[in-house]
Amino acid sequence: MTNIAEARIRREFKEVVKSDEVAACNIKVELVNDTFNELRGEIAGPPDTPYAGGQFHLEIKIPETYPFNPPIVKFLTKIWHPNISSVTGAICLDILKDQWAAAMTLRTVLLSLQALLAAAEPDDPQDAVVAQQYKENHSIFEKTARHWTAVYAGGPKSYPDLDSKILSLKTMGFEEHQARAALSSKGWDLERATEYLIN
Amino acid sequence: MAEGALNYDPSKNYDDQTCAQQRDIEKAIADEQPLVSDILSFDELKTEYQDDEIFKLKIDDLKGRYKHMRKTRGDGNCFFRAFGFAYLEQLLNNNTDFPRFKEIASKSKDELVALGFPQFTIEDFHETFMEVIEKVEKKCTNEEFYQLYTDQGISDYFVVYLRLIVSGHLQKEEDFFIHFVEGGRTVKEFCNQEVEPMHKESDHIHITALTAALGVNIRVEYMDRGDTPKCNQHDFPDGSRPSVYLLYRPSHYDILYP
Repeated sequence: MTNIAEARIRREFKEVVKSDEVAACNIKVELVNDTFNELRGEIAGPPDTPYAGGQFHLEIKIPETYPFNPPIVKFLTKIWHPNISSVTGAICLDILKDQWAAAMTLRTVLLSLQALLAAAEPDDPQDAVVAQQYKENHSIFEKTARHWTAVYAGGPKSYPDLDSKILSLKTMGFEEHQARAALSSKGWDLERATEYLIN
Repeated sequence: MAEGALNYDPSKNYDDQTCAQQRDIEKAIADEQPLVSDILSFDELKTEYQDDEIFKLKIDDLKGRYKHMRKTRGDGNCFFRAFGFAYLEQLLNNNTDFPRFKEIASKSKDELVALGFPQFTIEDFHETFMEVIEKVEKKCTNEEFYQLYTDQGISDYFVVYLRLIVSGHLQKEEDFFIHFVEGGRTVKEFCNQEVEPMHKESDHIHITALTAALGVNIRVEYMDRGDTPKCNQHDFPDGSRPSVYLLYRPSHYDILYP
C-alpha cells in the first residue's frame, strides 16, 4: 500500500469515528487488521424503508491507488435490493464506479449507501431479478426485503407465512438460504420455487 | 439461473469486469507514457505521423512558432497536468506573477469549503497543492521540480485540486455556465460527473473555468483534421495575452514552449 493511500485512510478513519453519524449509531467503521487496506463498515437500515431496524455489514477494500480510485465495497449481510446482488453483495452505485472523486471519503461512501437503501434505482440494477420484482410487484418486493432484513440483519418484522414456505422446502431437503433465495426470486410461489430448485 | 428472458447471471459482477478492464488499460498507458515527458523536438513529434501529410504540415507550422514541446500522459488528466506543469515551470523561471497566484491559491481552500466541499479532504489536497507551490517559491532547480511534479502521488493530488478549483468556479458562476452544460444536467451534476472524477477529459468549459478562477491565460493550438496547413488557435479568455501554451490533438493536451 502506498503512503498516500495509507495516510489518507488513517485520517479518514479518525474522521468517521468522530462523526455525528457514528454518535447516532448510523454508521460505523472498524479495522480488520493493522494494515488499513481492509476495513469493515456498518450502516443502519434507514427508517420507513424495508431495511429499517437492520444492521448491514460491509467489506471495504482500499486499493493502492486510493483516493484516486474508489474503495471496493460489498455487502457482507445478505440483502434484497435492486442495486445490490442478492448472491454476492456486489453494489451498483455511481460513486463507487465512474463518479468517484478523490474528495470523497469513507464517510461519504457509507452515507451514500445508506441513501441507496432509502432510494433504489431499479433502472440501473445490480440484481436484475430483484429489480424486476421491484418494478412489477412492489408489495411482494417490500415484504421480501423486510423478511431478508429480519433474517440476516436483525430486523424486527417476521412473516410466519413466508417462514412456513421455507420450512416446506427444507423438509424436502433443500438448504435454508437456498430455499429462501428461490422463493424470493419466484414471488413466494412454492410450486415455481420447487421446480426451479429441482432443475 | 436467470429469470425469464433476461440472460443474466447474478453471481457474476459485470461492473467489476468493466472496471478491471479499465484499470488494465490505465496501467498499460502508465507503463508506456511518463506523466510529463522530457523536452521533445517537433521532428520527434513528426515521427508519429509518417504518412499523414496534413499533420506534418501543421507540425511545420508549430515549428515556425514554438521552440519545442513536452508530452503528457494520455490518462484523461492531461489538460490539468499540462497546465500545472507549464505554469509552475514558468513561475520557477520568472516569478513576477507569483505573489498574485499564491494569494489566490491560499484563499481557494476557504472558498471551496464555503461552497460546501468537505473540509476534511479539501484541506488534505490543499496542503499538498501549497507544498508544491512553495517548492517553486523557494526556487528549487528545474530538475527538482520535474522530479516533484512527476511523482505520481503528488502530481495526482495537484490534478485533483485543480479539478476542485474548476468545480468550485463552475458552481459559483452557475447562472453563466448552466448554458454550456449539455444533456439537461445541473451544473452540480456536471461537476460530479465530468469535473471532479479523475481521468475525465477536459473541454472548453473546464478551460474557461480554470483560467477565470486562477487568472492565468491559456492559448490552445488545435491540430485537427481540417485541411488548412496551420493550427487553429484559441485564447482563453478571448483576446487575452496568453502565458501558458498548450497543443491540442484530438482528445489530448501537451505543452508548447514559445
